[in-house]
Amino acid sequence: MSEDIRILVVEDDRNIRQFVASALESEGYQVAAAGSLRQAGVELGARSPDLIVLDLGLPDGDGVQFIRDFRGWSAVPILVLSARSLETEKVVALDAGADDYLSKPFGVSELLARVRAQLRRRTQDSEQDPPLIRFGDFEIDCVNRVVRRRGEALHLTQIEYRLLLCLATHPGRVMTHRQLLAQVWGAQAVESHQYLRVYVGHLRQKIETDPTQPRHILTETGVGYRFQP
Amino acid sequence: MRIKPYGLGILGCIALTLLIAPLRAAIDLSNVALLYVLLVVGMAVRSGRSPAVVTALLASLAFAYVFVPPQFSLAITQAQHLISAAIMLGVALLVGHLTSRLKSHVENAELREQHSRALYLLASQLTAAQTRADVLGISGHFLATLFRVDDLRILAPGTSEPLPEPLTPAGLADIVASRTLATLAAAGRGRTVTAVPLRVSKGLQGVLVFALDDADTLTAQVRELLETMASVVAVALERIHYADLARATGVRMASESLRNTILSALSHDLRTPLTALVGMADTVAEGRTAHPGDQQAMIVAIRDQALTINRLVSNLLEMARLQSGEVTLNKAWQPVEEVVGASLQQMRLQLAQHPVKVEITPALPPLEFDAVLMERALCNLLENAAKYSPPESEITLSATQAGNRLEISVCDRGPGLPDAERAELFGLFRRGQRESNIPGVGLGLAIVRNIVEAHGGSVDAADRSGGGACFSLRLPVGEPPRVAELEAPA
Repeated sequence: MSEDIRILVVEDDRNIRQFVASALESEGYQVAAAGSLRQAGVELGARSPDLIVLDLGLPDGDGVQFIRDFRGWSAVPILVLSARSLETEKVVALDAGADDYLSKPFGVSELLARVRAQLRRRTQDSEQDPPLIRFGDFEIDCVNRVVRRRGEALHLTQIEYRLLLCLATHPGRVMTHRQLLAQVWGAQAVESHQYLRVYVGHLRQKIETDPTQPRHILTETGVGYRFQP
Repeated sequence: MRIKPYGLGILGCIALTLLIAPLRAAIDLSNVALLYVLLVVGMAVRSGRSPAVVTALLASLAFAYVFVPPQFSLAITQAQHLISAAIMLGVALLVGHLTSRLKSHVENAELREQHSRALYLLASQLTAAQTRADVLGISGHFLATLFRVDDLRILAPGTSEPLPEPLTPAGLADIVASRTLATLAAAGRGRTVTAVPLRVSKGLQGVLVFALDDADTLTAQVRELLETMASVVAVALERIHYADLARATGVRMASESLRNTILSALSHDLRTPLTALVGMADTVAEGRTAHPGDQQAMIVAIRDQALTINRLVSNLLEMARLQSGEVTLNKAWQPVEEVVGASLQQMRLQLAQHPVKVEITPALPPLEFDAVLMERALCNLLENAAKYSPPESEITLSATQAGNRLEISVCDRGPGLPDAERAELFGLFRRGQRESNIPGVGLGLAIVRNIVEAHGGSVDAADRSGGGACFSLRLPVGEPPRVAELEAPA
């Protein structure tokens, strides 16, 4: 199964490229590596990868612009490697269409966990509209719009349900504040971060055992939220 | 020329003449003359010199015509009467002149007093001025007490901003060179543009320029006042200039000393772990480990060492960023629970050996803060607690409201605080024990303090009853905006 999965690593630093590639190969993925955006374009055409690991700071162009262009014709997951610690940079990349990010320096196990999460999501996406989403003790019945905990229906408001659904249909993916607001409240609300925080708080009260140490709805401070099944 | 005072003088003369004419038999001629002199004095006090002179001339004519025999004739037959008429005229002129001079002296004195009071007020207000804009405002207020001005501005020396019509750069240069107040007629009736160079002992601080509707208000006295004002304003501007200079120098020196501290910290605290890193990598690369197990352990140590260096560098960069003043707080209203949860999540590896107890009072008000920075601050406190307390000892993170402050504390069961001054713990490059095997350079708490103070809060450290230390940060509770239920259309 892993042998069929192709991953493209775009990174200009030779050492990082090498260790990322060998870590992925050790997991049985087929890895192609590129040191520039130009080379990445060639590899994309030749191999049609299932996942792209992309460094944002490449010598021959803007990684964010590359993501935007790429998203115009492909939904293949993109995992961004970012040396910049400024959260706004990550938000820009995620809003452009990246699926997740890793801040340098990162460990191999973290890298592999993120890659696995993206690939898992990809296989889930291909099964069209799952009628039931399960996580922990919960299941979301998308047909009847009901959330149950151990079979018992949970009372959620309309907004809370939509927010939970929006998060749960993107497991492992960082959803930026903007993306969540646009999907749950609509395009006119994308700046109303306060609403989002209030409703995430409500939702955590209802589905987390300890809302201060959430297991499912994780905060990516300054960026957004990540759902962990 | 105003007609009214002259008319008043003439009327006065006629009225006095009519009043005492019937009594001319009863009143002595010299007393009649004195009555006329009294009228002239009155006129001088009331209306000044020229009306008094006219009244004096008229009065002596009336005196000669009506009272001096032969009556109702200007002919004066007796030399004695001629003398009294002449003396009366002389006295009337002299007294009128003296009186009017006295009056204008009094008026001048009053004006001067008014001006000096205004100047005093100006000077005392200017001592509190912090910026050029303050000076401009105060000057405008001062001028407004004198007359109606508009388009008031202070042109900085060598300014490139557009000059008010009809001032030209060359004209401005001439005014500056002449060192005195200058007026230029502007478009519009009676409108003048007035420019006053603001000179101090060492050069020019600018030019005060304003437009006046009525050029007549610029009397010699007002000009003098304006020039005095200009020197006061110039001194204030000079003071502000030097204060700015001193502040900029101070900032530069502070950042210079920060750079020096960072450099010395880097050279010592970064070289030591780097030396270990290079050594361990060499050992592994050259196959010098005795047992295969040692090699594995050493590689793990290399990774840990590299991560330690990474944390150190991140902290240094963060500190440099905070101190440079380039950080703009990305403040937003949010619940405290979220940032607490995010910090615990962030520090889960470092906290793996400690049970963490979270005690958050239910229904705390939201706070306005920069989530990324606040997470940094809490992570630093948690990291310290984990570093300085023995494995398996509990760490408590609590949040409560105390009055108009919200207090977040991280408490451990470590050795407690060193005896050194508590406040110094939050200083840059301060460590509880100077030489210790616990990694770090003493940046963590300094960063915490910087972040919390940037939010208008305060930090505190205390020993904990039963052993251990508590680090608390207090943040002001504000007035959160109301969140309307923003339910999307179904």
